Amino acid sequence: MAALTPGAAAAGSTDPATASPPGPARAHSAHRAGRAALRAGAVLLRRTLVLAALLAVVFTAVEILPGDAATATADRGDSAAAIAARREHLGLDRPLWERFTDWMTALPTGDLGTSARGEKVADLLRDPFPNTLALAGAAFVLTVAASLALGCLAAARPGRRTDRVIGHTATTAFAIPDFVLATGLVLVLSLWTGWLPAVTVADASGKPAEWTMMIMPVLALAIPQTGWNTRIVRAALTDQADAPHVEAARLDGLSTTRVLLRHALPGALPVIATGIATSTGMLLGGAVVVETLFNHPGMGTVLAGAVAGRDTTLIAGSVALAGAAITLVLLAADLVRAKTAGAGR
Amino acid sequence: MTTTATSTDNGAAAPTRPGRRRAARRALPLLVPAALFLAAALAGPWLAPHTIDAPVTATYAAAGDGALLGGDQLGRDVWSRLLHGGGELIGCAFLIGAAVTATAALLGCLAVLRPRAGRILERAADVAILLPSVLGIMLVALAWPDGGRWAVITAAVVLGTPFAVRVVAAAAAPLAAAGYVEAALMRGESSLSITVRELLPNLRGTVTALFGLRFVEAVYIISTAAFLQIGPQPPEADWALMIRENAPGILLNPWAVLAPSAAVALLAITVNLATSALAPRTQAVTSA
Repeated sequence: MAALTPGAAAAGSTDPATASPPGPARAHSAHRAGRAALRAGAVLLRRTLVLAALLAVVFTAVEILPGDAATATADRGDSAAAIAARREHLGLDRPLWERFTDWMTALPTGDLGTSARGEKVADLLRDPFPNTLALAGAAFVLTVAASLALGCLAAARPGRRTDRVIGHTATTAFAIPDFVLATGLVLVLSLWTGWLPAVTVADASGKPAEWTMMIMPVLALAIPQTGWNTRIVRAALTDQADAPHVEAARLDGLSTTRVLLRHALPGALPVIATGIATSTGMLLGGAVVVETLFNHPGMGTVLAGAVAGRDTTLIAGSVALAGAAITLVLLAADLVRAKTAGAGR
Repeated sequence: MTTTATSTDNGAAAPTRPGRRRAARRALPLLVPAALFLAAALAGPWLAPHTIDAPVTATYAAAGDGALLGGDQLGRDVWSRLLHGGGELIGCAFLIGAAVTATAALLGCLAVLRPRAGRILERAADVAILLPSVLGIMLVALAWPDGGRWAVITAAVVLGTPFAVRVVAAAAAPLAAAGYVEAALMRGESSLSITVRELLPNLRGTVTALFGLRFVEAVYIISTAAFLQIGPQPPEADWALMIRENAPGILLNPWAVLAPSAAVALLAITVNLATSALAPRTQAVTSA
């Protein structure tokens, strides 16, 4: 497998302002704290603006479509007048700009708009979204742990068999679509061996009835992403191995484990954080797909219905929620980067 | 899912001829499976014993008795449908991979030559990262209900390009400072001419690796969309659609689900391994 050096993309994906050294070293500490706060504010503002831009694009795209919620939900044989009345009822006769500002200003208050059937989108998503988030979150934690462990293991034995096996397995793993993996898992772990339930059953509160029902969906999501991130961890550690301070630690005769964990890993963290943060979108999107396979009570079912019913507000609301979740993880990655950059200089 | 960025050569001298030959020998075992699998999938329709819509067995009939892999939910021959089901997926993935790579190669170089355009493209990637591709496909499917395959292709190209641009830009940035590029700029050559004649020839490795990864990504997007019943519609033979349609009968005839699953997985894995073999040795992989 090719040697991996991820520095370039990390530089490409961060704002120069956040990655640059935090001013002259002599600066007063209070002054420095003020600057840090300012920088954090700037990053927060930028991420929020990017999220707003995405929502604007989505909202406009949805508007350009032929047909709207009123015609989509109309019964066959409804007169043009009835559809017009419905359009007025849903507020679709108002200008695009006005509706967009209304929708956007309502978002921070938790109001995601009204679905094509006249229900509150926030109410429709209240129960399923946390379930999807729990699935993606569990897969995220597993991905972080597994890819750090495997990446470090490979980097500790560069060029040896362990390294090659982990490298090829990772490349193989991240190519497999999650729903294909999920199908294979169901067949092996459930239908042939009977170890795990094949279908998720929700209890009275709308959550999966048993935690064992989460195992297969989480594995199906985490395995491909672990493959991808293991390569990033391995590559970032390879980059760090050439850094002068890591070389010095190695020449001092410290153990490989200590050099790796205490000297190389901290410097590699910004790249790793960026890589893992970008997996969030894949995990959330994958969760929606895998849910439909396991009948997990999450967004997958709601969204499948929304596509069939041409319910654009419902999908736009889901995009807003997913975008917000991804923004939070990206902000956390920004934080890791800023902290490492600050401590390193 | 994936994007690469390539960093510059680490100062090593240009590979010597024997070195190159050794690299080619090492890459060969990883390239052959992909070539064989692609050839088999594309030739499949001519080898199929039955048509894709003729019922030849009982519903979910087990393998054997004239049907190599048994029957599906309508008693159609799974083996014949499997042989038919790959061509379109591969064709579409190829189209998406080529479109994204070509657009990204041009825009990525433009981003490096024109910093202002570069900043705009960078912001576009920031926005695109917030939209999970599955949701993006659903949006496009809503926007264009009769689009079928083309709706999915459009979505995949639009969603994939921003990251790919970032990858090319990261690889092209160090080249833009090279003397021959500056000389071309001083001569007053157009950005397009510099891109095509000075930058791209030096980005062969990056662009090849990018195409491979975009192909794998496209396979993911198309098959996921088909699994969500966006794109190919039921009578068609499509691997992802077969997985979904035959899932209820998985215990009666596991092959009806297992065979198309394995086909999708093998397609993605063989191409991905081939890509990793073709990638330049100083390859940098990161997400975008």
